[in-house]
Amino acid sequence: MKTFGGYRRPDGSIGVRNHVIVINTVGELSALTRKIANLTPGVIPVIHHGGVAQFPEDHTQTLRTLVGTAGHSNVSATLVVGTENDPIAQEIYKVLRKKGKPVHTVCLNKNQKIPEILQEGRSWLLTALENSKKEVREQCDITELIVGLECGGSDAWSGITANPSIGAFSDMIVREGGTSVLAETTEAIGAEHILASNAINREVGREFLDIVRTYEHRIKQTGEDIRSANPTPGNMAGGLTTLEEKSLGCIKKGGGTPLKEVISYAGKPTEKGFVFMDTPGYDVESVCGLAAGGAQVVLFSTGKGSPTGSPIVPVIKIGTNPKVYEIMSEHIDINAGKIIDQNNSINDIGKEIFEKVITVSNGEKTAAENELNQEFAIWRLAESI
Amino acid sequence: MKVAMGYSFKGYMRSDGSAGTRNNIGIISSVICSSTVTNEIASKVDCAVPIVHSNGCAQLGDDFNVTKSMLSGVAENPNFHSNLLIGLGCETNQVTGLLAAIPKVKPIDGFSIQQMAGGTNTVAKGVAIASEWSKDITNQQRTELPISKLKVGIITADMDEQTLAITTPVVSALIDKLLENDSTVICSLTRTLEPSGNLLAAKTKDMRTAEMLKTLSEGLNRRRWEKDESYALSVFTDEEKSLAAHEAKLFESNNLVELLDINEKPSDRGLYLLKSSDNIVETISNFVSVGCNVALIISKEGILATSNVIPCISLAPCNVSQTHRDHVDFYITQGNEEKQTVTLLEKLLQVSSGELTALEEYELGEFAIPHIGTTF
Repeated sequence: MKTFGGYRRPDGSIGVRNHVIVINTVGELSALTRKIANLTPGVIPVIHHGGVAQFPEDHTQTLRTLVGTAGHSNVSATLVVGTENDPIAQEIYKVLRKKGKPVHTVCLNKNQKIPEILQEGRSWLLTALENSKKEVREQCDITELIVGLECGGSDAWSGITANPSIGAFSDMIVREGGTSVLAETTEAIGAEHILASNAINREVGREFLDIVRTYEHRIKQTGEDIRSANPTPGNMAGGLTTLEEKSLGCIKKGGGTPLKEVISYAGKPTEKGFVFMDTPGYDVESVCGLAAGGAQVVLFSTGKGSPTGSPIVPVIKIGTNPKVYEIMSEHIDINAGKIIDQNNSINDIGKEIFEKVITVSNGEKTAAENELNQEFAIWRLAESI
Repeated sequence: MKVAMGYSFKGYMRSDGSAGTRNNIGIISSVICSSTVTNEIASKVDCAVPIVHSNGCAQLGDDFNVTKSMLSGVAENPNFHSNLLIGLGCETNQVTGLLAAIPKVKPIDGFSIQQMAGGTNTVAKGVAIASEWSKDITNQQRTELPISKLKVGIITADMDEQTLAITTPVVSALIDKLLENDSTVICSLTRTLEPSGNLLAAKTKDMRTAEMLKTLSEGLNRRRWEKDESYALSVFTDEEKSLAAHEAKLFESNNLVELLDINEKPSDRGLYLLKSSDNIVETISNFVSVGCNVALIISKEGILATSNVIPCISLAPCNVSQTHRDHVDFYITQGNEEKQTVTLLEKLLQVSSGELTALEEYELGEFAIPHIGTTF
């Protein structure tokens, strides 16, 4: 059985990082939250502009994402910045306390001045940072790993090199008893029948087809052709001609293992094995949902070269061709282009990804972590009220 | 300040006839994927302000148009001396498209991370270009400009009847004073004001605006896309209607020129309403995009939000029992409205002339783009 060095949390979950974060509940506190983080080097800000003036479907999704992020196993301790009597702050606090995770809320109080708020936040974070340094990694079973599968800035090589290699990795980790979560519903359009026919049973297949259909329906309602946004201008410059072509390449990240479950955005898998999460094809929102759903590591193939990461999970970039690996090396961890010019097989790169996932889970930093790429955005479902 | 010719402030005159109350460089990301690089460039250049947001890719139709027009509007804002656009390269919202959409009235440049072969090269080139503009800024001086050059955004947030009862007489008189002096005033039309659509419709000669305002009073009218696109209509309560009628008193003695949609710029001087939401950061950013160079935010206890492009003066009612918050710029008390209006106008002119607001002192500015469609 393969193992990695992770952080065992009081609720039994395993983290591959030990971050101390500060997160805002509503958009108007985003600048204050960033300022608190800036005053405390080593603390990661998780910033968004939602949480307020939202319809129930957005409020629920925002809350689920914030709770999943704040309570993530890669997080050692969380400072929540909220308003007075803030229901989101209260809910995050309640869930994290139940998990046994160190959490504190700084809620704007009529009697506090800004320097006092900054001081209270900084003081708690400094203690949390000190405490986090005392936590040690222990050997954990690979079955504890949940790995998100993502692609962004795809090109014509994505479906030939990097994505099938991620698929080979997915099959390997599932064989070892771990979990892989494919995302980006938009990028299954045109290839949904293939994934559905690979579902573990008819019900799961139907659920998957339903979320793709809902997406297509939403697109038709806009009166627009999805093909005007996808493939993107960059995808086309990279040689992709249609969404179907992009989708056929995209779903290869799922490998050949049967699809066990379909989960909602930022939802947690209840099964081990190969799972699909309903997310948009917008990379940062998709990675944010995967992380909030519990993925400790995300794999991200890129043909054009994308620097984006996550505030809480290491994102491993896999270049699809030798050229992108050469010119965008500061943003890419693995060169799947070796399949093109160095006689590597898809399985070779799949194994290389597997080894990388283990070393990154042990603490090795990814390119996105080195470059401090900590983008965060929550998928919106309605206009602000 | 009042000079022989009338009220004035010290600002920065732009070549298109608009006036800045600040003189900064916009470092604007076209998409969230370039936000880290955008922030890094801005952190290395004096007077540079990062405009980062969550949008820019996998957007369709109206939703994409809002993102593009908002960024274009922000670049046009007179508080920016110059603009540098930073993209990733493969996104829907291409830098080349933005460059084509933004009028060339001030220094502008733009490129992408993929075009520059990585973040390091992009930061180096971005810092080099913006640093040159920064040198130019240090040589520029404010000049005396008429108050008619002010486009004042007035934003209401977290309203209740008591707050409106105390603040409305003073703010309403300020609006009168600004309009008398040929300034432009743009007021937020948020959920609290929507039930008074019928009342407001009577204040405009513009038939299209009147019809739109009447529709608003019939119920909340916003788009949702959970399953498919729909409008959520809900009937307003008597309490909501009463609150709206109080808020409508802000415009009692003036005619409305037009109701502006998100990012829609006023066509002339006068009093406008701008479609807004209770998401205060999105609303403030919308005011930046339509060209406001200063704003007033009225709230119950002082909202801890401001723009990183325009100064926002925070107004709140003053109650005897209330603790004064250090982020409120101006407390309004009951009575003595004429004197308070004069003092508020002076504050507006001082801030427009360079005095920092409380939240500017703390460097707490923000920016966000609203969605009017889901991402794909």
